[in-house]
Amino acid sequence: MRRSRLSIPLAVALLIAAACSTSSSSSGGSASGGPTEENTGKVNILSAVDPKEGKSIQGQVLDPDINDAQSDYTVELEADGNFEQDVKIRAQAGTLDLAMLPQPGALADLVATGNAVSMEDMGFDIGQLEATFGKPFMDLGVVDGKHYEIPTNINLKSMIWYPKDDFDKAGYTVPKTWDELMALSDQIVADGGTPWCAGFQSEGSSGWPATDWMEDIMLRTAGPDTYDKWVKHEIPFNDPAVLTAAQDFGGVMFHPNYVLGGAANTASLAFGDAPLPMFDTPPGCWLHRQASFIPAFFPETAKAGVDYDWFPFPSMDTEGGPLFGGEVMMAFRNAPEVKDALERFSGTEVQCGMGGYVGSSRISPNVNVSNDCYADQILKDSSDVLKAGLTSGSARFDASDLMPPSVGQGSEWTGMIKYMQQGPDSIQGILDDIEASWPSS
Amino acid sequence: MSIETIERREVEGLPPTESPPKGVGEGGRGGWFPRIVILVVAILWLIPAVGVLITSFREPDLVKTTGWWTVFAHPFQIGQWTLANYRTALDSGGLGNAFMNSLAVTIPSTVIPITIAAFAAYAFSWMEFKGRYILFVTVVGLLVVPLQMALIPILKLYVNGGIWFDRRVFPDLHLNGTFLAVWLAHTGFGLPLAIYLLRNYIGSLPSSIIESAQIDGADHFTIFWRLIVPLSVPALAAFAIFQFLWVWNDLLVAYVFLGGTKDVQVLTLALASLNGFAGETWHLLTAAAFISMVLPLIVFFSLQKYFVRGLTAGAVKG
Amino acid sequence: MTSADRPPPGGGAAEAVPPPPGAAVWLFLFRLVGAIAIPIGAFYLLWITFDFLRSSDANRALVVLVAIVVGSGGVFLLYLAMNRAVDLLPATLREGVRPWIFVGPALVLLSVFLVYPVINTILLSFKDAHSKAFVGLDNFKFVFTDESMLRSIRNTLGWMILVPLVATATGLAFATLADRLRRGEAVAKSVIFLPLAISFAGASITWRLVYSFRPEGFGSNIGLLNGVMIGLGQNPVDWLTQHPWNNLYLMVIMVWMQTGFAMVVLSAAIKAIPAEIIEAARIDGASEWQVFRRIMVPTILPTIVVVATYMVINALKVFDIVFVMGNTEANGTEVVAERMIHWFFIGGNYGRGAAIAVVLFIAVIPVMVWNVRRFREEEAIR
Repeated sequence: MRRSRLSIPLAVALLIAAACSTSSSSSGGSASGGPTEENTGKVNILSAVDPKEGKSIQGQVLDPDINDAQSDYTVELEADGNFEQDVKIRAQAGTLDLAMLPQPGALADLVATGNAVSMEDMGFDIGQLEATFGKPFMDLGVVDGKHYEIPTNINLKSMIWYPKDDFDKAGYTVPKTWDELMALSDQIVADGGTPWCAGFQSEGSSGWPATDWMEDIMLRTAGPDTYDKWVKHEIPFNDPAVLTAAQDFGGVMFHPNYVLGGAANTASLAFGDAPLPMFDTPPGCWLHRQASFIPAFFPETAKAGVDYDWFPFPSMDTEGGPLFGGEVMMAFRNAPEVKDALERFSGTEVQCGMGGYVGSSRISPNVNVSNDCYADQILKDSSDVLKAGLTSGSARFDASDLMPPSVGQGSEWTGMIKYMQQGPDSIQGILDDIEASWPSS
Repeated sequence: MSIETIERREVEGLPPTESPPKGVGEGGRGGWFPRIVILVVAILWLIPAVGVLITSFREPDLVKTTGWWTVFAHPFQIGQWTLANYRTALDSGGLGNAFMNSLAVTIPSTVIPITIAAFAAYAFSWMEFKGRYILFVTVVGLLVVPLQMALIPILKLYVNGGIWFDRRVFPDLHLNGTFLAVWLAHTGFGLPLAIYLLRNYIGSLPSSIIESAQIDGADHFTIFWRLIVPLSVPALAAFAIFQFLWVWNDLLVAYVFLGGTKDVQVLTLALASLNGFAGETWHLLTAAAFISMVLPLIVFFSLQKYFVRGLTAGAVKG
Repeated sequence: MTSADRPPPGGGAAEAVPPPPGAAVWLFLFRLVGAIAIPIGAFYLLWITFDFLRSSDANRALVVLVAIVVGSGGVFLLYLAMNRAVDLLPATLREGVRPWIFVGPALVLLSVFLVYPVINTILLSFKDAHSKAFVGLDNFKFVFTDESMLRSIRNTLGWMILVPLVATATGLAFATLADRLRRGEAVAKSVIFLPLAISFAGASITWRLVYSFRPEGFGSNIGLLNGVMIGLGQNPVDWLTQHPWNNLYLMVIMVWMQTGFAMVVLSAAIKAIPAEIIEAARIDGASEWQVFRRIMVPTILPTIVVVATYMVINALKVFDIVFVMGNTEANGTEVVAERMIHWFFIGGNYGRGAAIAVVLFIAVIPVMVWNVRRFREEEAIR
């Protein structure tokens, strides 16, 4: 009787122990490069693309070009509306294979606390990657001498959209320089119109369209070198160069006749609503600076090349520009199928496919991807502008996406909103605040 | 009243309630005041929801350009109404599968915490053991723990097991990606409220009924199962509704522990994929909101009948 | 379970007439086998089914069905099994152990899923941004000096007071009054309940359709409030940037979402008040207000405390409403939990995020002390 009483917990314990012992895994030490884990047959890619775009990428590119092209594994792209949070949770816990990071500035945090695997450890040839994507791109992901990303997408930000038919009818011409752009703005005012539309509200991320505006000016007034120092915090955020750029930006926004609805309202206006008055008759505004994705918000009836078109943000004092954003892919599991998926994803075939579906705004950073890959003229033209800028070395990645997230997705966004709300005189104090918020380590 | 009375009621298949029928002796006290207050509050509460309902049936272009209340100016103009938003939402792919996954997550994630919490609440109310007060209050205090702080440590436990100074203190069960992982997580996160609510109710039952059952020779398990559970049906139903809603509408826990891929995603995740850029797809999101509300409302209405007067009325007289 | 196999009574005070010795032995053996078999069987069965659930090849509908049955039924089976095992212990130990069978599973789950993360968070709060080195109290110094943090603490205090007050009062009033309706009680209650059933994504759309703002020249306003403003001949207002009032506008959302909780729980408590008590008061000539004030409120006070406590804690934890409705720092709508998420997941500073969480843990202590008091008083009088 005594024995049998004991045997109950014992049997239960044994059962649990038996169940557990089958599953003790040990992660072996890594040799010099190359996969260290077994093929699980599945690769997940976490991304912040919007779900519609995610569906297109999965169905029109990944399924035919990766999943159907080999039989070792399937790759699935997850379009996550809560990317910033989820990527940290899953990277730390180790349930992530690949992640497409829209803000390379967050890369250092992920390397510091997550399970990121460097491209060296994955067994990639860095020299070859640099030849394919350019050294500046690969340098974005260097932490402690190792490379942690491969760029997989870029998009042009330095674009000014205009209502082409009305624009031509009014006899306006596309400006090549900042001075011409300001002259055009004055001309529009003189003709009784309002030149600019701008809206910086984006729910919890409000402010980012304004930082883009300001960075475009910064890159062109201070020049690429100073811009780089700004990004790396080698000059403070309240440096005179930054102040100048912010004031030039304010010069447009706070001009009494330039902005439809006035500067203070730009902070409250949803960025997607902002371009709509361009399509009124007569246009409520004539110029709108926004990145390549914005046609998704235009009225469905508006035709590219007829109702609207774009020109590059004009040059200013220096040779800086254009400004672009993009995504870099990080790896979190060192397994053969993960490496293969990463190789294919950044390779010519998949990259070409991603510019080819209808509604794509994705341009490839891979130099081997030809201009013929892109679905429409807007994409082809922006690819040309980008390639020229990358070749000449004057193109730069969006600064706020490269800065530490607490600045680039925090105090800088907030600062720009406050600038719009509080007026031109507030800028010095705002820049001081952003400078103070830069993380110390 | 003794335990036998209640048992007999059950055996005879009678609902254990049916003391004074609702309305008798009090219905006449309604008057105009309650009706007006209720009407006003209900309208205030309804207005935002009506906006969503109307929006979900409007043409996308109209949603973006005019306020939803403008439909009242010409409600019978057919062209402004559409079912296309619902069609698009339902056609978004994998919704049937996601619905099944949601059920598989939600039902056990509701039943398990209720069972566990009911046992614990009974013990906290009617059993003597050391540290009862402090344990109970700690449990309630755990209500404050933000879910987000727990996700990373728990996911690490699921994926790697617990390793503390190179010693394995928690087995690696390969739980991540299984339904069990989500059930346990929802149970853990739901328990503080469940125990708190149920102890409040179970603890307020008259001690006379428990004492008389003990005199009749019933042990704790019997008292709990035959007496307390039937008497606590309103509280159990109330918590069941909340837990069901919370789990059904949860996105984060299911995503983190089950995953976001097509085969395992729950309904909330599948519907989240309708979201485009901010503000672009309000017509779809409103339709999605109503699609995902159907089941919770059915649950609410079907559990509604347990909120009836006088479950304990007979017991008090004893 | 029928009364035949009801386990022997615990106290042994009312021991039944002992059955014949032979039968007792057989009965005992029978029970013993059952008691051993049940826990083992239960565990084994559950484990097999979990393995089955894990295999992705199995038919989806079948997996889901098995999951629901096993997940829901399995847990009761485990309690039954454990209770049986306790019955086999020597009588002197039995009743000392049984409470732990009842609370044990809850405590184990809570330890793993909540206590362990709390300890983990406390440790992180003393470390740096990437949890590498200890930094002493630096993170806490940040919490109580940063301008935005201080504003979030002030705002959260407002949330903790106003939201529970309004939501509980409205819920109580509505539950009391709806209880008197002759018809339509369920319909009236379901209206207040509705916001609970809506997903968070749905709720945020709902309120954007209320607060949405477009300046002059950007099309007509599609937000209800601005529709009203324009109808009244006023200019549209960007409600969510009107500091400090925007805090109130956001609180309205939470009140809308949470009042249903208060209403359901309080309504259940009101239903539990014996009708004869209220009738007696009415016969004695008490007015409806007196009945409410002198009988109903005191009777359901414990439940009101529970609801209020839950609301206070929820208001303390509020984050998503504030988070999705605009740039908090620019609008001055920061709240503590939102700051925590910001630093933990966006700002890239685990130390600060964790320190803010620890402040949340500490903030709840007074509420808990108050609850202990009530708990003791309640037990003293029952």
